This record gives sequence, C-alpha cells and structure tokens, in this order.
Amino acid sequence: MSLLKPFSKLPGLNTANILLVESEEQFQQSLADVLVEETSVTVNVRLAKSLPLPMENDESRPRIDLVVFIINLTSELSLQSAEASLKYLDPGYFLGKVCFMVTNARNASAPAERLDAVRKLAASLHCPLLFAENQTPDGVASATERLLTILKVAAGLVPIATGLYVSNLTRCTLPLDIDQPSFD
Amino acid sequence: MDNTVKRLLERLVRRIPSRMLKTTLDKWSRLTATQRQSIDYTESKWALTEKLLAICEENELTVKHIAELEMIHVIENPNLGMWHAFQLMDPQGDAHSVELTQFKEQFKSHLSELIRHVSIKIKKHTDEAVWIRIAWGDTFSRPNHLKPTYVVHYLQTPYVFLSSLTSKQKPLLSQALVLSTRYQAIKDANLSGRKLTAIRDLLMKQYLQVFPTKFPSPLAERNRVVSNLHIEKEQAGSAANRHQMACEAFGDGLLPQLQSAVYKLETKFRDHTNKTMTERDEPFRCVVKFASTNLLESLRHSASSGTQKVLKTVIRITIIVFCKEVSYVTITWYVTKSCRILTASLQVSTRGHQSPGRNSHIVMLLH
Repeated sequence: MSLLKPFSKLPGLNTANILLVESEEQFQQSLADVLVEETSVTVNVRLAKSLPLPMENDESRPRIDLVVFIINLTSELSLQSAEASLKYLDPGYFLGKVCFMVTNARNASAPAERLDAVRKLAASLHCPLLFAENQTPDGVASATERLLTILKVAAGLVPIATGLYVSNLTRCTLPLDIDQPSFD
Repeated sequence: MDNTVKRLLERLVRRIPSRMLKTTLDKWSRLTATQRQSIDYTESKWALTEKLLAICEENELTVKHIAELEMIHVIENPNLGMWHAFQLMDPQGDAHSVELTQFKEQFKSHLSELIRHVSIKIKKHTDEAVWIRIAWGDTFSRPNHLKPTYVVHYLQTPYVFLSSLTSKQKPLLSQALVLSTRYQAIKDANLSGRKLTAIRDLLMKQYLQVFPTKFPSPLAERNRVVSNLHIEKEQAGSAANRHQMACEAFGDGLLPQLQSAVYKLETKFRDHTNKTMTERDEPFRCVVKFASTNLLESLRHSASSGTQKVLKTVIRITIIVFCKEVSYVTITWYVTKSCRILTASLQVSTRGHQSPGRNSHIVMLLH
C-alpha cells in the first residue's frame, strides 16, 4: 500500500525534512516560508493537502522526519481530512514523528466538541498537540519556532534526545473532566 | 446665507476626506485662485467648513453649485453608497441611436412634467457614463438636496444604476428614464452592492471573459512561480488541475466584486414519504440570497481548493421559503467539478414530521 515509511531512506547531512498536511492549504504556505529561513539546519518542507502522497514523487522525496497535521477548528472538513490521512502513515511515525497543530481555537464558531475530539485523537496517538495563531506574522513565527524544536529532535539533530523520548514529555494528555459537559 | 446651503456644505465637507478635499475643490473650479490658496487644508473640518462658507458667500454660490461639488465627489468615489442595477427592456426603433443632448433634454422635460419641483443635474463622465443627480421636491416644497438620487446610465446600452431611491420616487424616475431612452419598460436586474464598478463590470460583461479553448493546459512559462527550492508541493499536479478548472469557469483575472445576488425560484417538492408537501397545488416559492465580500472570488476559491461543499463561512446563503407548512430547512450546497452548476439540496421538514424530506434540487447556472 502507499504507506509513508519513516526509516526506509537515508537521512541527509544536517538536514531536516518536514511534511505539512493541511486540507485548506493556507497556513502551510506561510509556515513553510518561515521554516526555510532557519540557518543552523537545512529545512526542506513538503506541502500536501492530504495523504496518501502521489506515487510519482516517491523517488524524489527525501526521508520525512516529521509529519504535521494542521487542523482548522472552524471547519469540520479539516478534521475529517486529517483523520482520513492518518491511515496512510506507517505506525513507525507515531513514535515521536507526528505532531498535530490546531488553528482558530479561540474562534467563537469553533465548537468545543471538535477541540475535544482533536485532543482525544492526539492523546490516543501519543502525539503533541500545538495551538497556533495563523493571522499575524508573530503567530506564524512562534508556531515555526515550536515546530523547529520538535523537528530537530525528530530528525536526530539534537544529541541524546530522540523523538520517542521527547514525545513522552510533549504528548497530549486529556484533562480528567473532558467528557463532562462544559458550562456554556 | 441659505440654511440648506449651509447644511449641504457642512455635510459635504464632513464626508470628503481631508486629503481629497483639495483635488475636489480644484475640479469644482468655482473658487478663484486666491481663494483656493487661502484655504489651509490641515485645519480641522469645522474650521474648513467655516472658511468655505465664507468663500461661498463671497462668490454668492447657491445650492445648485454645492450640488455640483457633491456630484464631483460622488463621481470620483462611486464605490460608496448602495447601488441597484436596472435593465431597460424592449427597445423601440431609435433606442440605439439616442445621443447625449437628446437624452438630456428628454429626461429633464419628462421628469419635470411628472413632478413639479425637481432639480436635475446631468453630467457626462469620460467613460461614456451619464451621471444624473436628482433632488426631489413635490408640489408644495422645494427640492430636498440633502437626499439626492444618483443615476448612472450608459448611453446606447440598456443598463441603469440607481442609488438612494425611495419607492415613491421609483415609478416617476422609471417613467422618465423609459421615455427618454426610447425603451418600453424597465426591470430590476437583481444586482446590488456598494461597488458600482463591480456591478457595472458584471452586468456589462467588462471582466476578463473565458473562452473555450481546444488545448486548455496553461503555458508553462506563465506559471513558473519561483518559490523557495526547499519548499515543494506534493500534490502540485492535482492542485494545478483544480486551479485550471476554476479558471475555466471564472477566468484567472480580477473578478468584479459582487457582493449580493438574489435568485427567485419556483420549484416543486418531491418526496414520496411526505404526502402533505407533494400534494400542494401551488409551487414552492423560494428566494435565495448570496452575500459575501466578494462572491465570485469565493466561488472560484472554493472550486480551486477542491471542496465540493461551498465554504459557508465565506458566503452567506439564505433561503427563504414561502410556505406555511415548512418549519425546518437545511441547505447543503455543492459545486460540481466543472464549477458551472451550483446545486442545493434542500431538506425541508414540515410540522409534525421528524425526518426531513428531500426536495428537488435547486440548480443554478453560474452564468
């Protein structure tokens, strides 16, 4: 099947490759523009709308160190597309090489159930859940910084730390009262 | 000085932004050079108003002159205020050869016949548009210059754009327009919005039109977007396809900024489980209203982003169904792959009915 495998290719020298998966294809472009400005490491960004990735690119695609699913909380379609794409990842990725990034969490039109659903998803997969603000350049810059921290570990560029080790610390945990109705 | 002149001038100075005041006054050319130089545009609006009032008194300017100034300002900024488009129907023999002086005379005489006190100003703009400013009075009162109606007509086309017209004034104006342009009727073109340029472009088809081509793939040179070498799109092929399809339907140029479109619809209900609705004699009447900051751009974007369902956050679509039995309506919209047909699946449920039934599809062709 067309699963994306984490260790089937050789890594590049001082290189980190990140795959941004977003059904709306908006935020990923601005993130990518800031990510490639990183100087200490060569960052290659691959952008996709959903998985599976087209087979034609299999040869030219480098080893993907981190897969980031960008979910827009105001759109149900975004969440569904991300969930459907999860099937096309080799289980090896879930040991510290997958991350969820959520935008528009403070938007009034985003229902609370959707955020809970994303939290449960991230917690069940032992992945970190990041919240990002995508409208201002400052928001994009801070989201990029956080992604870079996780990316460098996942790419093996930080001595002693591995993705699996760090994911024990960064993975999403569910608050104990997540299934209880909220006040509003 | 007359009170109306004062009020009109005050209101006008308030409305015109300070940076445009100088150019507008220069265009007006009712002030002498010394007077123009004596105005300090960095003063507050209140001080400017006082200065201008003094100058106008000096020059003995009347309401008509101030109305001229207002007209200049509106012509320069057509994208303020709410415009409604109308279309003239059934041209008579010489409708296509009506020229400016004839139109002006006819319009003024017809409208003055219909209503005793009315003040009309007609001006021809450089781009073939005739601008008319009408201040309405009635048999007992002078024309009210504080609530003028603006009309834009393109000679030898059947299109007219109106702004600020009350329902009482509408039949009078329609009559005058129809008679002076040598058509037989006028109807609402159902296009309205704040941007006159957008409505005009749409109605008169002055946007980048799309023609069917035999080899639709775009030129590779044109699409070479030099982006960073380190960023690569995985699904660039299918993204390009979708973009191409959206461009085939909407064109890839700047689209007129349509903000509201209303469709009136009569349809029949078709659901075997719901006898009360199918056995109605009268057709189901609906009004569908699209509203967005830029309707066509939103549709083009939703087509190129591949979502089959139109993004509801971008376009507000309201359907009002005229039927007393209907208590609950859900609407789902689909744009077909060719972007030409917008389909709505309307689910309507009647009182006492728990499960919504299915209506016949409302299909709208996008041009």
